[in-house]
Amino acid sequence: MAAASPSASSPARWPLSLWIGMAMLAPLILVAVGGPAVAPYVYDEMNFLARLQPPGPDFWCGTDEFGRDVFSRTLVGTRESLIMGFSATLISLVIGMPLGLIAGYKRGRIEELIMRASDVLLSFPPILLGILVLAVTPPALWKAIVAIGIVYAPQVVRVTRAITLELMQEEFIEAARLRGESARYVLFSEILPNIWPPLAVETSLRIVFAILLGAALSFIGMGAQPPSSDWGLMIAEARPFVEQAPWIALCPGFALAVTVIGINLLGDGLRAVLDPRNTGRH
Amino acid sequence: MRAPSDSSPQTPVLDVRNLTISYTSARGTQRAVTDVSLAIMPGEVVGLVGESGSGKSTVAMAVLDLLGEDGVIETGDILFEGTDLRTLSATERRALLGHRIGAVFQDPFTSLNPAYTVGDQIAEPLIRHKGFSAAQAAPRVEELLAEVGIREPGRIARSYPHQLSGGMQQRALIATAISCEPRFLILDEPTTALDVTVEAKIIELLASLCDRHRLAALFVSHNLGIVNRLCSSICVLYGSQIVETGRTRDVLADPVHPYTKGLIAALPHITAERHQRLPSIPGTVGKAAAMPTACVFAQRCPFVEDACRNQAQALRKSAGGRDTRCWKSDALKEAPWPTEAGLATARKAPTQQTAPLIEVEGLCKTFDGGRSILPWRRRSGTVAVDHVSFTIERGEVLGLVGESGSGKSTIGRSILALIEPSAGKVTFDGADFVEGARQGDRDLRRRAQLVFQNSAASLNPRKTVGAAIARPLVLSGLTEPKARREKVAELLSRVGLPIHYAERYPHELSGGERQRVNIARALASEPEFIVCDEAVSALDVSVQANILNLLSELRDELGLAYLFITHDIAVISHIADRVLVIYGGTLCEEGPIERILRPPYHPYTEALLSAVPRLARAGDGPERPRILLEDTMVTTSGGCVFRGRCPRKRGAVCDEQAPPVQTAADGHRIACHIPLAELAAAAPVFPDLVA
Amino acid sequence: MFLFTLTRLVYLGVVLVVMSILVFLITQAMPGDVAHLIAGQFASKEVVEAISIKLGLDQPLIVQYGRWAAGILHGDLGRSLTLEQAIAPIVIEALIRSLVLAVSALFIVAVLGIGLGVLAAVRRGKLSDQMVSGISYIGIAVPDFFWAILLILVFGSYLQLLPTGGYAPISDGFLAWAKHLILPVITLVLMMLARVARLTRSSMIDVLQTNYVKYARAKGMPERVVIFRHALKNALLPTITVLAINFGWILGGVVVIETVFSYPGLGRLLLFAIQRHDLPLIQATILLVSTAYCLANLVADLLYAFVNPKIRHSMSNN
Repeated sequence: MAAASPSASSPARWPLSLWIGMAMLAPLILVAVGGPAVAPYVYDEMNFLARLQPPGPDFWCGTDEFGRDVFSRTLVGTRESLIMGFSATLISLVIGMPLGLIAGYKRGRIEELIMRASDVLLSFPPILLGILVLAVTPPALWKAIVAIGIVYAPQVVRVTRAITLELMQEEFIEAARLRGESARYVLFSEILPNIWPPLAVETSLRIVFAILLGAALSFIGMGAQPPSSDWGLMIAEARPFVEQAPWIALCPGFALAVTVIGINLLGDGLRAVLDPRNTGRH
Repeated sequence: MRAPSDSSPQTPVLDVRNLTISYTSARGTQRAVTDVSLAIMPGEVVGLVGESGSGKSTVAMAVLDLLGEDGVIETGDILFEGTDLRTLSATERRALLGHRIGAVFQDPFTSLNPAYTVGDQIAEPLIRHKGFSAAQAAPRVEELLAEVGIREPGRIARSYPHQLSGGMQQRALIATAISCEPRFLILDEPTTALDVTVEAKIIELLASLCDRHRLAALFVSHNLGIVNRLCSSICVLYGSQIVETGRTRDVLADPVHPYTKGLIAALPHITAERHQRLPSIPGTVGKAAAMPTACVFAQRCPFVEDACRNQAQALRKSAGGRDTRCWKSDALKEAPWPTEAGLATARKAPTQQTAPLIEVEGLCKTFDGGRSILPWRRRSGTVAVDHVSFTIERGEVLGLVGESGSGKSTIGRSILALIEPSAGKVTFDGADFVEGARQGDRDLRRRAQLVFQNSAASLNPRKTVGAAIARPLVLSGLTEPKARREKVAELLSRVGLPIHYAERYPHELSGGERQRVNIARALASEPEFIVCDEAVSALDVSVQANILNLLSELRDELGLAYLFITHDIAVISHIADRVLVIYGGTLCEEGPIERILRPPYHPYTEALLSAVPRLARAGDGPERPRILLEDTMVTTSGGCVFRGRCPRKRGAVCDEQAPPVQTAADGHRIACHIPLAELAAAAPVFPDLVA
Repeated sequence: MFLFTLTRLVYLGVVLVVMSILVFLITQAMPGDVAHLIAGQFASKEVVEAISIKLGLDQPLIVQYGRWAAGILHGDLGRSLTLEQAIAPIVIEALIRSLVLAVSALFIVAVLGIGLGVLAAVRRGKLSDQMVSGISYIGIAVPDFFWAILLILVFGSYLQLLPTGGYAPISDGFLAWAKHLILPVITLVLMMLARVARLTRSSMIDVLQTNYVKYARAKGMPERVVIFRHALKNALLPTITVLAINFGWILGGVVVIETVFSYPGLGRLLLFAIQRHDLPLIQATILLVSTAYCLANLVADLLYAFVNPKIRHSMSNN
């Protein structure tokens, strides 16, 4: 996506963090695509003969209280976590970006309305808003995704608006208005190409938050439901056995950490690559 | 601590020897200063002159030990009052600053900490270096503020930086610099961010302070006119090297090195000879090599020979401190910088037979202060432009001169309907421009264009030069889609850029090149009128001359009319046919440029003209004393807007009544209560123009 | 400054009203009929209707909201359906316990986060900077509930140093009370520390490159004065805002943390209420948490204006 950008430097000069981030995420994405097919065991198959087995050659990460293979469950959970992070962020972007663009471009009453509305939403701590939305109906994964998407949409609105406002001050926007360009052209051809680099960085952050919030919601029983192998849910289910069988909690916890660090590194790398200050612009 | 040797008159205060500095970054090492030596005697003010990137500020920062982590001194010594600063520890060096070495930086607003009062910040060196208590420092701070010419030192000391004007902020910085009574100052472009009339006062203040306290100073500047006023000797830097040194008067009157010759020649000069091409220095500054193998100026020098390209030049010493880095300087002594062919093409004279191209009537713009934090209250607005009327003929260049906050940019943007005027009418070739623009009349838009000051910000960083220039072609529909590439190429060569630049992105171009792209983009829609909003102000002198020549050529060949907005009198006197002088959003004076430069003057114009730092040239009469204005601005409504600072204020009538517009010869008009005859009796600012 | 405070208060009031309407509407949309819940599974239709009328559930929503809101203004948060007692004392007790957690975590985060951020910025690129960055990465990456489990595992199960959960009232002795606080507070700190440290670092780096910091050096101020007097005060402006937002995070975080540590605070109360469909209790807890969050934001706004003279003056000149 950086191919046409003048400020993206050649891959040879990409920062290390970008490479490490990609190296960490690539296997995760493969596992997510592969899903149950790449897992050594069926993730929700119970085996009461092998309950709470410690990690060993048969079960690389041990088994849980129902004798399910923790490693397989964690692998299968990757898909859910990534889907949760990416689709919730997508929802936030779909809601937040147009509103932010409009607020920054139109100004005036519309801006006031959009910003006040997002202020009210921002007045709830994010997880509470998620709980509030989820409490209405019986919990389910897709509802958690929608809830997270809504919770983080105001933040996307804010960021998009701030960048748009900054760009609107730029003289090349004035130059476009001087030519009598349509609002559509100004928004899509002048502002949008300049908005996505900072927004890409912001998006990577949002994905991290979405994954963590999703895991937290599942953990308190308001997200994914058993027998799903969502990481947050796995950790919650492991809680009573944590002293006898810590691996049940450690394995998905470690997977979560790797995912989040990978996306963070990727975001930091993107920031360095896309920051115009780092591209020799005077 | 004290310097080991007591500084006798023979010991220089500052003695820089063979200083070479490089900056290292991820992109490699960049040479910034090469083998620079200079000595400053007690009480002497030395100017360090050069264009951007010449390395002049780096020298100043090296003395202050503020190069940052990337800057490395490769070789050389910096002796302050006989002590080699490089042998001191970082703590010992820091302790000298503010105590024995004072400093004033370019931008006073960003140099003052927004979180503390001005008084607190001036007191800091006193408390730190002189052991004052905060209570002892307070009266001393007020004394210092009074010494730098501040009227109410007590109130100003308690103010925060953002509450003060730029001039006051710079005075506060100067007070900080002299608080511990140092004998040496580093002045890094101390007036560059200020208006001309404020600059004149700051220069006057610095001159009198240096004189009174027998201060030595290193004065870093790109402005030869100011150096001429303040410095006894100068060093000219080019491409990280000193190319010429000497007594200021000698160097400016009789430059020896080709670069100095070119620099002085390229400076627009306020003269009677107009419509001439400015002599210019071709090309752009290249990167300084770590191991130079040729003269740094060889690529741009009109006197270049093979010998110049084969070896690096050494600084040749000669009598009276006149050193030059040019082996053939003796042979060039009498050779002037080549002038370019006079009028490139015959100019289409501004036609006055037909109706004017643009008529502006009663233009007003009030910016509302935005929403107050109380939702039911609105802040009172500020009047940026107040009933301004003027006309522009076809092919005419109308200059619009004013200082910051005068409303000149607002006028430029209002007549192009980028800002909606609060009142008034703009007629373009008989059509209502603002109304037309509102209804999306692209053809009307096409005919009036704008060239911005900031060449970088006015180009979308993510579009190629070619795409930027092609877009107006698409919109205007004047060019067939197939012919667009050719047309872009044609426009690029028209503004003097290679055709392959179409593929480049703005950040790959230099400032001058980007400004050419901006001009090409403006030309693409085949306009009849272009607003140039400080279009050459951000450029170095040698580049500025090139762009001014280009604009003159385009005017002559295409019959373009310009509204040329600037704060620079010299530029306006070079290019404009007629001039509007604006102050506080209202017109003070209007007329042909020859009339504006001679009496009768509006009192503001007179002060503005007298404040312009100039280079004396052979044949110029003695300079007349400068008119210095107060810093304060009165903005209350009613009366004359200039009365708060007017040195010739008549009394109550100026406070109560708007000044009448008085008409002199040739459509020369002045808005002032003082009768024309009395205004005409003023001594001319430029006596050479009167004859 | 006074006017500023006043307008912020007015604004806060508006936000709270809007919020209470939202909370009310959402909880109304929850499944399960309150009257049914009270009457029990096997109650006859008539009994349910009678309860409905008694509770005013048959009246239009606006009337119901009006009664509820009026009650709140009188300090009456209603009665819990499941606990069968007045809500106000229960929530207030829980709120105080949660605030103890949140405020002590916030305090530690502020001190430690700002300190680490400044250290990293000043020693930019050096080992200590990289260590702070490394710790930040891990701190951000591991979810709070997982930290909680790790801490319980290490300090509770293996080392047997601290209780793995629960709460001891202060009447049981200060030490017992404090011991139950340590692990939840550490968890909350770990969750927030990285964010504050990273933000302080980046704003400090920006400020250290400004002209006024350069000029402070040119005045001969020692580096210590440059950093703590000239740079830090300006660099703290964005940190203050983030701390306030973090306070909201902490308040949200307590829901999860209290669950893991079985700590009887507001968060656990909320989950309990949601599981039991105890509408009045849900409304009261959410409203209370949000109000606390808004108040924290208000404090941050005032603090911001107080530290920043530019804003302070534009306030008083208005």
